[in-house]
Amino acid sequence: MELLTVALPKGRMQDPALALFGAIGYTVSEEATSGRKLLFEDLSGRLRFILAKPADVPIYVEYGAADLGIVGEDVLRESGRDLYEPLGLGFSRCRLVLAGPPEAKERVLRLEIGLRVASKYPKLVREYFQRRGISAEIIPLSGSVELAPAVGLADLLVDLVDTGRTLRENGLVEIETLMESQAMLVVNRASHKLKFEPIREIINKLAAEVARREHEGERR
Amino acid sequence: MAFAESSLARQLPHGLTDMFFEQAAIKTWLEAVLQDVFRRWGYNRIILPTFEYYDALATNASPQLQEEMYRLFDREGHILALRPDMTVQAARVAGTKLYDQPLPLRFYYIGSVFRYEEPQAGRRREFTQAGVELMGAAGPEADAEVLALAVAALQALNITRFQLNVGQVAFLQAILSDAHLDNGALRRLEQVIDRKNDVELQRTLAELGIGGGAARAIRAIPHLCGDEGVLEEARRLSTNASARRAIERLGQVYELLRLEGVAEHVILDLGEVRRMAYYTGITFHAYVAGLGFHVCNGGRYDGLVANFGADMPAVGFALGLERAMLVTHPQVDIAPQLLMRGCAHAECRALAALARSRGLRVEVDVLGRDEEALIAYAQARKAHHLVSCRGGSVYLLHDSSGSRELGREELEKEIRSWSC
Repeated sequence: MELLTVALPKGRMQDPALALFGAIGYTVSEEATSGRKLLFEDLSGRLRFILAKPADVPIYVEYGAADLGIVGEDVLRESGRDLYEPLGLGFSRCRLVLAGPPEAKERVLRLEIGLRVASKYPKLVREYFQRRGISAEIIPLSGSVELAPAVGLADLLVDLVDTGRTLRENGLVEIETLMESQAMLVVNRASHKLKFEPIREIINKLAAEVARREHEGERR
Repeated sequence: MAFAESSLARQLPHGLTDMFFEQAAIKTWLEAVLQDVFRRWGYNRIILPTFEYYDALATNASPQLQEEMYRLFDREGHILALRPDMTVQAARVAGTKLYDQPLPLRFYYIGSVFRYEEPQAGRRREFTQAGVELMGAAGPEADAEVLALAVAALQALNITRFQLNVGQVAFLQAILSDAHLDNGALRRLEQVIDRKNDVELQRTLAELGIGGGAARAIRAIPHLCGDEGVLEEARRLSTNASARRAIERLGQVYELLRLEGVAEHVILDLGEVRRMAYYTGITFHAYVAGLGFHVCNGGRYDGLVANFGADMPAVGFALGLERAMLVTHPQVDIAPQLLMRGCAHAECRALAALARSRGLRVEVDVLGRDEEALIAYAQARKAHHLVSCRGGSVYLLHDSSGSRELGREELEKEIRSWSC
């Protein structure tokens, strides 16, 4: 089988992603992942993994530098990259929410002028407000977005929420959910055509494993 | 200096490029090779204007392509646009001017097209397309000819590891015909199918109220990819006669491609639904090993010409030259084969003329350099041979094997032995 390259996101999704590939028979040695290596093969030598910043995964895959990738649906939509996304992987489930101080919940955003919204997702936020006919100034930040309303940088924020604890600790409440997100498998368009059989094999194995886990979750 | 460093006068807009030296020679080679292939298949060149009325170019264009067009006003206030492709222009010419000509029409074109999109992964704002249009033929023979010509074009460019993914948009259209969707819903569904995202596809089908056999067929479409087995499966999933006809047509084209001896390059791929809005039948994309995006795409567009008058079925493809340049690397040599010192003797000029008449690249020095300076220049330019007149019909010939003196006749003989 031709060697396939898989781009994985560094950070919180890295371990569950590697565990998923491990469960379908592509295990990596501990030595490979413990260090600072950004490029390593699985024990069978059929897959090559690269570790990238989450927002960069769609870029590696779109250019074909990686055939496959795992990336959060939120990051994928924000990237606007042209990829196949054949499979939701069921882990790293979270929501992208609009949040603000408690009194913001009562405001009619459509009537406001000079609304400022801080987010790591400027593209998604702009599209969301445009669709709803609300004029807002988007303030793109790259982290600690919860801080923005507290210091008067923004009225509202859009960020990823898992349990909602970070929001509560900063005295913020959820106003609306923009989208649900989970880890997605993405595939380069040309690779999907040119390496059809090996990629289909991986997609099918992953799909079976995801279905098995969901089934197990339901029984529990 | 007249301009400050920040001045736009020395910069290029994003997504444009200059090309020179070897790169420009390679592109010229590609253009020549493709024109030669098209000519051998009976296609004649059509030369089209770079910009024209927006209304003409926007005919049957998707909202996305309309957004990507560069628009400008003429002095009467009409909206003009730079062409985003040449198929619509060829359709305009066929519909308004060539409606009474013997059919079919076979055209090839080559030129720049312009799209305002983010330059990334093989996309630029100005790029060169070389393509063909076969107009006035509705049958599978025409589809197969254009597909086989795409294969011939790629092979002529010395691209060997490639495949054509051939789809049939009429199949999806037939299955959706019972659902009575508006254009917006149709496009949304196509986008989701195109991304092969099954979860989103299920959600979208439910929202649009599509269920039963149609939903089963649509959910299968992203995975209908492979050899003839795909046809059988698609036939089983067909919900009406038009869907079955669409698949039968795809089967006929495949059979003809087998006759043509190019079926090994063809993958049937009904998930291939992304398209220019004007496509109505078979569509295809060509992928080359090692490149993350397609180099060539095309399809059948039977309704387009009718917008401009005469109704004429048509099929064609376009190949992106800059993308092709990423996967084919012809050896080009732009160095002079003969570099001559400039001198006032008619005899020397005649030697240059002799070399030129034999098709050699000849450069005569116009900077008045002496022999030593010229030898340094010849090395820098990688000139194959340097000739310097020493008077009295004696010449210095300098090349990779060293320097020697020759008489005129000897030198002429030498020049005649060089191949171009």
